[in-house]
Amino acid sequence: MEMSLLDTCIDAIRLLFSGNTELWSIIWVSFCVSMTAILISAVPAIFVGFLLAMVDFPGRWMVIALFNALMAIPTVVVGLTLYLLLSRSGPFGELHLLFSQPAMVIGQVLLCFPVLVCMSHAAFQGIDRRAWETARTLGAHCGRAALTIACEARFSLLGAMLAGFSRIISEVGCSMMVGGNILGYTRNIPTAIALETSKGEFSQGVALGLVLLMLALVLNFTLASVRGKGQLI
Amino acid sequence: MGLELKIDNLVKRFGTREIFRIEQLHVQEGQSLHLKGENGVGKTTLMKIMAGLEKPCSGNVSVTPNHRRWWSDRLHPDVIYLHQTPYVFMSNVVDNVAYGLKLRKGNRHDVKNKVQQALAWARLEHLAEQPAYSLSGGERQRLALARAWILAPRLLFLDEPTANLDRRSVSTVAELVGQLLEQGTTIMVSSHQSNTVTELCNRHLQLEDGALHEVESLTQVKRYA
Repeated sequence: MEMSLLDTCIDAIRLLFSGNTELWSIIWVSFCVSMTAILISAVPAIFVGFLLAMVDFPGRWMVIALFNALMAIPTVVVGLTLYLLLSRSGPFGELHLLFSQPAMVIGQVLLCFPVLVCMSHAAFQGIDRRAWETARTLGAHCGRAALTIACEARFSLLGAMLAGFSRIISEVGCSMMVGGNILGYTRNIPTAIALETSKGEFSQGVALGLVLLMLALVLNFTLASVRGKGQLI
Repeated sequence: MGLELKIDNLVKRFGTREIFRIEQLHVQEGQSLHLKGENGVGKTTLMKIMAGLEKPCSGNVSVTPNHRRWWSDRLHPDVIYLHQTPYVFMSNVVDNVAYGLKLRKGNRHDVKNKVQQALAWARLEHLAEQPAYSLSGGERQRLALARAWILAPRLLFLDEPTANLDRRSVSTVAELVGQLLEQGTTIMVSSHQSNTVTELCNRHLQLEDGALHEVESLTQVKRYA
């Protein structure tokens, strides 16, 4: 019997609060993989963004354009590339990483790195050059001055991390290809939604969708409250 | 040993356009200099080069005795440059004033005491806990002076410190600069016109047509204006 939209939503909410272990293991895998990926990529990506904003070198604009282009690359293409590299006949086949959480983490690092670079680059570009000069003239060495600049750009950098996290927590293509959608191990929220929907089991898909929606709301409200109410132009 | 700044054959270009070419300049400790010139002649660039914040295209700036840190061959710990519109960090006034001192790793109690002294000196005590971005132009200029004063610089570059300030703020800034001079700080003030701050100076330099001229007196400076 086909369920109405309302029935599906009620069933989804009931499922969420029933303590269904399968559902919560999927949520846990999603969080673990995406948090690990964002933590691995944040510092190096912000550093690259800083260098692109502060240091002039030949071909700098090409690097910026490349990262901008990589932001738009479909997740399934990253998944496919990684699949070819990690499959048994691929150059990294001996590492036996395919269909594992580390493979998903690698894929998500590749996906969020360009987002973090581009957004942190934009964040640093928005900082006045005088901030750097003031820090330097008051005695800060380059590293300390860079930290000061990062501190000045903290809200924009938090926004960059949020955007990077949003990109990977909701991606399905790469996780499906290199994770393999193994229940309890590599099945995350987006791959589970895709699977359950294809089976006609909408309740679990909607429940997981609600988790993603709640997560997006919580993260954005947290950022907004840290930043303040926002200034009008 | 007294602090000395020397410039030899300094050239700065932006692209193919030569901004200035300065053969020699010698500044000794305790002097106060007024760097005068029209807008766009390169006063700010020259001061930033002397402060070690910008690189010249050729030539040499030396500050002796040389106490430069290992991480920089240009920045000197006794030399501070203040922007025309001072940048304030996104924190309160106290943290802004303490910034340089914290970098020098003084103990917490000393830092707190010195910050209080600096705030009192710059008459900013009542604004201590205010966010620095909420300060007016004159207050920001005083904050920048306090931020420098706390580090006891021996050479201070002030880039148009009275630009866009009302008469009352100008006289307060002039008073603070006068006190710095009394303490023996060497000061170079850039300004395109004479004012109460530049009147404190005992040497007057004119940057014009890409060259630096020493002028004998204030009246001679005024002739250029």
